[in-house]
Amino acid sequence: MRREKIKKIPALLLASAIGLAATAGCGSSAPAGSETAARSEESAKESEKKTETGTGTPEEAAEEPAGTVTISFWHHYSAQSEENKTLTEILIPEFEKENPGIQVNAVSHEWADLHDKLLISARSDTLPDVARLDSAWVPEFQKMGILVPLNQEIDGFEEAADALLESAMSTAAIGGDQYGLALNTNTKILYYNKEAFEKAGLAVPETMEDFAAACRALAGANENGQQVWGYDEPALSGWNLCPFIWSMGGALTDETQTKATGYINSPETVAAIEMLAELYQENAITGWNSGDIPMTDGFGTGRYMMLLEGPWKVAELAGAYPDFAYGTAAVPAGKDGSVSVLGGEDIAMFRTANRDAAWKFMTFMTGAYAQEEMAKCGQIPCNKEALRSDTVKNADFAPYIEQLKTAKSRPTVAAWSEIDTELATAVTAVVNGEKTAQEAMDELAPKVDQLLSE
Amino acid sequence: MKLKGKSRAEIAMLLLPGLLIFGTFTIYPIVRLFWMSFCGWDFGSFLKQEFIGLSNYREVVTDGYFRTAFANTLAYTAVTVPAQMLLGLFVAMLIHSLPRGQIGFRVAYYLPVITSWVICSLVFRYVFNTEGLLNYFLTQVVHAAPQNIRWLDSRWGGMSVAMLLGIWKGIGWNMVVFLAALQTVPRELYESASLDGAGAWKKFVYVTLPGIRGTLLFALVMLTIGGFNVYTSTKLITDGKPGHETEVVLTWMYYKAFSTGKFGYAAALSFIIALVLAVLAVLQFRLMREKT
Repeated sequence: MRREKIKKIPALLLASAIGLAATAGCGSSAPAGSETAARSEESAKESEKKTETGTGTPEEAAEEPAGTVTISFWHHYSAQSEENKTLTEILIPEFEKENPGIQVNAVSHEWADLHDKLLISARSDTLPDVARLDSAWVPEFQKMGILVPLNQEIDGFEEAADALLESAMSTAAIGGDQYGLALNTNTKILYYNKEAFEKAGLAVPETMEDFAAACRALAGANENGQQVWGYDEPALSGWNLCPFIWSMGGALTDETQTKATGYINSPETVAAIEMLAELYQENAITGWNSGDIPMTDGFGTGRYMMLLEGPWKVAELAGAYPDFAYGTAAVPAGKDGSVSVLGGEDIAMFRTANRDAAWKFMTFMTGAYAQEEMAKCGQIPCNKEALRSDTVKNADFAPYIEQLKTAKSRPTVAAWSEIDTELATAVTAVVNGEKTAQEAMDELAPKVDQLLSE
Repeated sequence: MKLKGKSRAEIAMLLLPGLLIFGTFTIYPIVRLFWMSFCGWDFGSFLKQEFIGLSNYREVVTDGYFRTAFANTLAYTAVTVPAQMLLGLFVAMLIHSLPRGQIGFRVAYYLPVITSWVICSLVFRYVFNTEGLLNYFLTQVVHAAPQNIRWLDSRWGGMSVAMLLGIWKGIGWNMVVFLAALQTVPRELYESASLDGAGAWKKFVYVTLPGIRGTLLFALVMLTIGGFNVYTSTKLITDGKPGHETEVVLTWMYYKAFSTGKFGYAAALSFIIALVLAVLAVLQFRLMREKT
């Protein structure tokens, strides 16, 4: 009797366990699905909220003429950020006041989501009117044929473009046409650990030779016996390598962005890769391996002594390591001077947009007023007038303004993400000692030529 | 029994909602994906998908990254499937032989199975980081290593950690399945084997194994499919680093589709994997049948 009872319990447990196993087995995909669902729900709510706050009082809306146009604007200012607050509470109300009859429905996405959502929307003809695009995406979307060439099809383009920085505008220039307006820009400069440099009696590196020497001098073990590194580079893609390659006189492609042989395997480019590989093999730099300490933590806790990073690092460090003393300087100069890599965003309109309203919004967002407001929350303006304002002169990002003058954009070609993959793979083989820099770059060059010609 | 026209219509009406959902969300996407795999379906031709025949398939099989990812997936499956089954069976037999306290052990061994893949992966990553728990233990506590070992930074290092996670997490599921099977083997067979003078090993080989053959096959097929579906752990532990050397087929497919926009390539890749899995399953069934 008792025995039988005991026998039944495991059977029940087993049955329920197998039920669980079945759900656990399918579980690997479930969280991802529900996460996206939750996220889209969130952004739906976000847009709802924004239509509420953005369109003014209901009475006003009722008074509006029948011809009211609503344009949608997709962006990746994070939902909780100062930027998003400025956008929805200051800029959009101001724009709607200046342009009666146009309403803006702004929708916030995660950075990576926005890219994928735009891809999917293009497939189902549900694109927004205007979007803020990471400048690296512009060539892809241009090749899909969904962006409007502004210089050809929009009246008043010249005037709007002249007000903006040429270097930043180059991120949206493809084959002589302009597919967006530069919205905000950024680049990387050198961050260094003040205490470590003082202790070692080192000057802040101004040249690449000084930089390499400083990496070697600062690397080693700290007083707790932990290993420390002179410099941290979190990956080996174009964004990471270009400041070294360009400053040392190398290049990825020719001026017309059609050929890599002779550029990506030039002696200068190879020398830059070799320098990084040697420093890595001497344990003087690290950062791109899966097992490494994350960048901000490593820098804030004195394990990495230098970084090349963008203006966002200021806020990150202030939040995570408020007492940490660091300084900033220009990217160390090589034989072509101090050349950093351009990041930033462009604002572009899609072919399906309401062009008049979309263009008005784009020029508003790149105008001096909106750019200065955004500068207050850390976005580096592209508008020349806004750049001369006191807001900019007193901002955290002031040191970046000088570096921006010489910064260059990565190749604006549709195959860039694949080229970037191949570049990272080739350089990974070099730093791991599987190939010499010359061998790897010689192998890479024809592959990139092929990708550029597609 | 012959059905009247009316009841047939009724049956059709009752089946319709289910079939519609199945057709819309399962059959249609598969057919569409199959078509996609023959088209130039990427950024460059988003608005004009042209038929390019087998080009996508050719591109996949000649792609060095795909070969690496495929080899990694094969290695992952070849290591984790037998290891899970052996250890799972071993634990199941131990628990089966316990006179009491079976439930406690069963729950303990089953806990990893019901823990989220994401959480387990992040914990494993934390343990095996260059600055992680294991290295701390080795260098600071037992002083077995002079300096931190870079567990995750090489191809096979990263893959091994993912395999270890897969095995650790899979033992519980195998244990439960085999335990259920062990209970179905008739006691009399063991008794008569004992009378014939069979030892523990002989009983295992001639009574236990044939008795649970069906379950072994079931586990083998399920685990092989599961091995090819590995994604979360490698994505979170190494994310393909260094230089795409630790990609598995699914992470590579995801990368090609959603990071570089090569949807045609990714579609072709998924059909190649489906084909490989189908062939493997058929082979496994054959093999098991021949042995009887």
